[in-house]
Amino acid sequence: MSTLSLASLTTRLRASAVYRSIIRHGAADTNRNRSLVIFENLFLHVHPVKVREKTLRFSHTYWLGGITLAACLILILTGILLMFYYHPSVPQAYRDMKELQFVVDNGVFYRNLHRWAAHLMVLGAMLHMLRVFYHRAYRPPRQFNWVVGVVLLLITLLLSYTGYLLPWDQLAFWGVSVGTNMAKEAPLIGKPLRFLLLGGNIVSENALLRFYVLHCVVLPAVMLLFLSVHIWRIRKDGGVQGPPEDGTDEEVEP
Amino acid sequence: MPDETADSLSGLDAGEGTRRQFLTQLGLGACAVTGLGAALTVADYMEPKVLFEPPTSFRAGNAADYPEGTVRFNQEQKVYIIGGAAGIFAMSAVCTHLGCITRPMSGEAGIACPCHGSKFDLEGNVTHGPAPHPLPWLEVRADSAGNLTVDTSVVIPHGKALKP
Amino acid sequence: MSQTPQPLAPVECNDPMALPRRVALVRPDTRPTLRRREERMVMTFPHLIIREVIMFQVVVIALVLIALLFNAPLEGLANPLETPNPSKAPWYFLGLQELLHYFPPVVAGVVIPGLVVVALVVIPYARINLVAGPLWSGDRKRVTNAIAAASGLLVVLFSAFQCWAIVVPTLLVAAAMFLARSEGDGRPFRRFLTLVTLPEWIMTWFVVVAALLTIIGTFFRGPGWSLVWPWNMYPPA
Repeated sequence: MSTLSLASLTTRLRASAVYRSIIRHGAADTNRNRSLVIFENLFLHVHPVKVREKTLRFSHTYWLGGITLAACLILILTGILLMFYYHPSVPQAYRDMKELQFVVDNGVFYRNLHRWAAHLMVLGAMLHMLRVFYHRAYRPPRQFNWVVGVVLLLITLLLSYTGYLLPWDQLAFWGVSVGTNMAKEAPLIGKPLRFLLLGGNIVSENALLRFYVLHCVVLPAVMLLFLSVHIWRIRKDGGVQGPPEDGTDEEVEP
Repeated sequence: MPDETADSLSGLDAGEGTRRQFLTQLGLGACAVTGLGAALTVADYMEPKVLFEPPTSFRAGNAADYPEGTVRFNQEQKVYIIGGAAGIFAMSAVCTHLGCITRPMSGEAGIACPCHGSKFDLEGNVTHGPAPHPLPWLEVRADSAGNLTVDTSVVIPHGKALKP
Repeated sequence: MSQTPQPLAPVECNDPMALPRRVALVRPDTRPTLRRREERMVMTFPHLIIREVIMFQVVVIALVLIALLFNAPLEGLANPLETPNPSKAPWYFLGLQELLHYFPPVVAGVVIPGLVVVALVVIPYARINLVAGPLWSGDRKRVTNAIAAASGLLVVLFSAFQCWAIVVPTLLVAAAMFLARSEGDGRPFRRFLTLVTLPEWIMTWFVVVAALLTIIGTFFRGPGWSLVWPWNMYPPA
């Protein structure tokens, strides 16, 4: 396919009425149209239309927040795929893991992807937190966003922990047993919390089902909520803050 | 701020592109191939290759068990095995209207569906009611000793009965 | 951008067209945050968007390669009657599990994680984090005493529980803090060290301790939570 015919095809597509009813701005060859690309898109318009050039550098944030978010996206997609072959019951769950491993096409790949993306997300969240700390990007007006970030880290750890039980193998079962026994030690709320979490006194079918619902529905929903606040706040606080400038910080305390 | 204009194509012949254009197309092409590959692998993943459903083939006794005039209804496999004038044949018991399980009629010879009143004769042809097609015939095989095996997943044309 | 506003002189006039009326007052402290310097801005599309796309693709490629090469673990079916030896938590909890070896479960499982979370949440509201300058920029004698007292206390406390995994990093970080006292031979690293603030020293201590505990828990603990070499994790019976 020569350059000209592909280009002319795309031009004709872009000129068509159907296309123009969906994408209501022209090609991004003027600053106005580049603004509209961001401004008229539901998913993109969390970005400002213009950004400070300094924030684009790798050394500004090392893209750690973005890496964490990318891992989260991969986790959601692979997680949904895995849900099509997984029954959260005992012992069917373990059989489903074997089925994914040996029977389903690409099952082992998607499971591996899910697991490694989970490790990356936890690691990314921690490194992101350290980056924000050492850049002192928690200073006013960004204080509350830091707290939201800590909450997000806890939700990430909980997501990882609830997902850990789902294969129902020895590693999963005893890892969760040890963890919930530690939770029991909390004063006052420890024992009732463990009872609620497990749906009983022992790690059993109830625990598996509860952890499944937490892992696939409750915690992702809560995470998306806090993530929206987190990203919204970055926008409202004037964008990502990287290393503090020599001398005065460029942001003025309100 | 000044507008960033698109690449100037001046100085190039028709059919010649800039290096940037080539790399852009290469990159977008690679993304398209990746997207296509991902879609195909996901579709392949979604299609179950091993089913844990009961097998469609089952043994049905011996040819001698089905003299002419026998109508045997196997409820578990939803199949009639009938000894007809031309030989032994098997017929699906699932009504071709909306999928209810038919039953042999108590009084007259024939098969009736309880849901919407369809009636079939003993060869599966529709005699009454809203069923659009006759009951399909299913494959029956006999080994050398006359033991029958029915496969409910294989449909054969009407009239092909197993000669005794 | 840095002119002082002219004082407003009162003018008598009844003509609303000639004399503009103030309809809004912009105070200097309104949102969005003001900047002291002019900044060079670029269009989000394509400059930021292309970088985000590339970052996402790099992450996907890296994860796909790792997923193709390394399998996720899957052990035998869960057996409530048989505990594997050792039974380890996921890696981000292994630091905690290592702590369990030294302290009772209430402390290692509830108190310490609780304190860590509270400390994290409080960071942006603690005055020390907002105003801290380099560690040795103030009263040097006071800083010396404070470091000696704090690290001494920690060393004594954790030695009592024989938690060397915390004692050793504490001593190392305290030594580094004293090293930062002088600029030494002027090498870039020594000069950089003198700029580190107290909150950053504390966070560094925390990260080193957590990392060390996690590494020990992952690689150096075998059956019965005994100390083993990583290559000898499961010694023959």
